[in-house]
Amino acid sequence: MPEWFVIVLKSVILLIVLFFMTKWLGKKQISQLNIFEYISGIVLGGIVAIHTIEPERNIFYGIIAMFIWFIVPFAVEFIALKSKSFRNFTQGKSTVLIQDGKIMEENLKKEGYSTDDLLEKLRDNDIFLASDVEFAVLEPSGSLSVLPKKENQPLTAKDLGLKLAPEKEPQTVVMDGKVLLEPLANLSLNTNWLETELDKLNVSIENVFLAQADNNGQLTIDLYDDKLTVPQPTEAKLLLATLKKCQADLELFALETNNIQSKELYERNSRKLQHATELVQPYLK
Amino acid sequence: MTVGSQVKSCYSSIKSVEAGLSLLASKTQDVETQNKFNEAQKIVTTVKEELKQQVTQLAKQEPQYK
Repeated sequence: MPEWFVIVLKSVILLIVLFFMTKWLGKKQISQLNIFEYISGIVLGGIVAIHTIEPERNIFYGIIAMFIWFIVPFAVEFIALKSKSFRNFTQGKSTVLIQDGKIMEENLKKEGYSTDDLLEKLRDNDIFLASDVEFAVLEPSGSLSVLPKKENQPLTAKDLGLKLAPEKEPQTVVMDGKVLLEPLANLSLNTNWLETELDKLNVSIENVFLAQADNNGQLTIDLYDDKLTVPQPTEAKLLLATLKKCQADLELFALETNNIQSKELYERNSRKLQHATELVQPYLK
Repeated sequence: MTVGSQVKSCYSSIKSVEAGLSLLASKTQDVETQNKFNEAQKIVTTVKEELKQQVTQLAKQEPQYK
């Protein structure tokens, strides 16, 4: 066998082995790897590199070495998954740096964190005043997680007591001009529905680059032809407007009429419509 | 527009709202949303019924505009 062919063969074999090993080692991002995983990754790469460019080396030795460097981190990760104390040992524990708004100087010292380091990490979290922090903890990965004091937290709908309609993930129903049947079925819709909706918008399916439907069955699309403007879905808004208009009309009738019985009827129904509007308003947006 | 035709137009708007609500109720996937739409639709239906009687009554009072 010519030497170049040996190199090709070994490269391909080692490439395949390396691919599966990294796949089994898990989906962690490079930044989430701890030192141990990081080093074993480099060693694995090194073994592969040495064995591919030197044809006279025995490939099985290479594979054995790779296997060891693969199985040990794999086993460590597996045991760490099962045992909390082992996990604390291999992956480290988090350290509380700020508790009840007070900086823990002892813990700062223990982690080798200077005051500047702490302030820098807080600024990373968009906090410039240390007294705005209720609780901060240094994660084993080295990042600082910060819980601001309640008054410094962003305002949410819950704080305002607003009632919001639940929102599910939208489904992509057309991609590159092709209908995707599975997402359509997830919304319990069919191609007929899609055709009708596209007809309403006056576009043909070949011209649709992307179409998404939300869980209320509203369709939003993007066309290949960017010169065409696509109308936004208005169905729900229109309905809300009509409902409000009817309610206002009834109020007007109640004011206009002199017949006491009719007046009462209009007022009663206007109140009913008001109630109905309040019921559905969060959902019609 | 006479009072009769005004009420009539309001009546037809109400009918369209009722249909719109039942359409949305059938289209949505979320049970809670569906319940809210159905509830609102029931209210709108009662309003529609009462208004319908009013329309007939007004038509009797204004036969010349019928």
